[in-house]
Amino acid sequence: MGRIGRLRPDQVGADVKTLFEAFLEERGNIPNMFRTVAHRPEILTTMLAHFRAVMGPGTVPVSLKEMLAVRVSRLNDCDY
Amino acid sequence: MAKQFGVSDEAIIGLRDPASHPFPPDQKAALLLADAMTDGRGQVPDPLFVEVRRHFSEPQIVEIAAVIGLFNYFNRFNNALHMDVTLTDPDVLVRRAAEAVKTAGAVETLCERVVEILQQGRRYFWIGIYQRQEDRLVRRAHRGPARPSHAFRLGEGNVGSAGQSGVTKVIDDVSTDPTYKMCFAATRSELVVPIRGGGAVVGVIDVESDRPAAFDEEERTLVERVAALLVSRLI
Repeated sequence: MGRIGRLRPDQVGADVKTLFEAFLEERGNIPNMFRTVAHRPEILTTMLAHFRAVMGPGTVPVSLKEMLAVRVSRLNDCDY
Repeated sequence: MAKQFGVSDEAIIGLRDPASHPFPPDQKAALLLADAMTDGRGQVPDPLFVEVRRHFSEPQIVEIAAVIGLFNYFNRFNNALHMDVTLTDPDVLVRRAAEAVKTAGAVETLCERVVEILQQGRRYFWIGIYQRQEDRLVRRAHRGPARPSHAFRLGEGNVGSAGQSGVTKVIDDVSTDPTYKMCFAATRSELVVPIRGGGAVVGVIDVESDRPAAFDEEERTLVERVAALLVSRLI
């Protein structure tokens, strides 16, 4: 079990609820990390915007960025 | 996830040890930067940075370093807070499996899609679908480590036993189960669900976990619902 509670869609404000619904629509779940960060809505909304800016199309191939993400997660022993 | 973005299986295996895998020089430089930034206090030696510069512009280096930094942030945040891997709701997975039953042509294609849907959604250590052929159950698709035995005789191991009895079996601890046929040292618990149709068993779904007692009522019901969907295609 996670050390911090995960918020459900009925426990969050309107802005975060919209984000949660978009996740459900797109992938059928709301990542536990984002349900946890939702305790601080400003951090969640800017985190998602930053994640998209960093990982979306940019100046290097998305495939290279995915490989870097896998490598770093392995080094950190993070299964999440 | 990485596979969806065009990263090959070979590259994913190579990521276990980028220094000794024949990645193209630009990818290797970026991966060695990731190692340097992630190890210890994240110091990057000058010769490595010179190599990175040979392959990438300044905006590209900023983007690469941002990816590496972001995943160190996320990984350390998740490790510290003991974040559980996110599982997909069983109803969503049953809908996806039902869609696959409608659209997949060959049985092999259908089984491939279904193991993919379940493995992605529930992060099973191992899952396989077996189809009955006379007195044997033959594997049609799997996800997880390759397994030495491709088929079981009826009555052999838990897959063969479910094929014979037509009854679901949940094994919380495989080390105490007399019927369990060990394939992976890492397996701790197992869920074996027969696919029943027309008064006979037409196949078996076998799921294994590297955690003890991993299969609760929710997991069992999910796999049984998927098994019920597959009957018409395996008969």
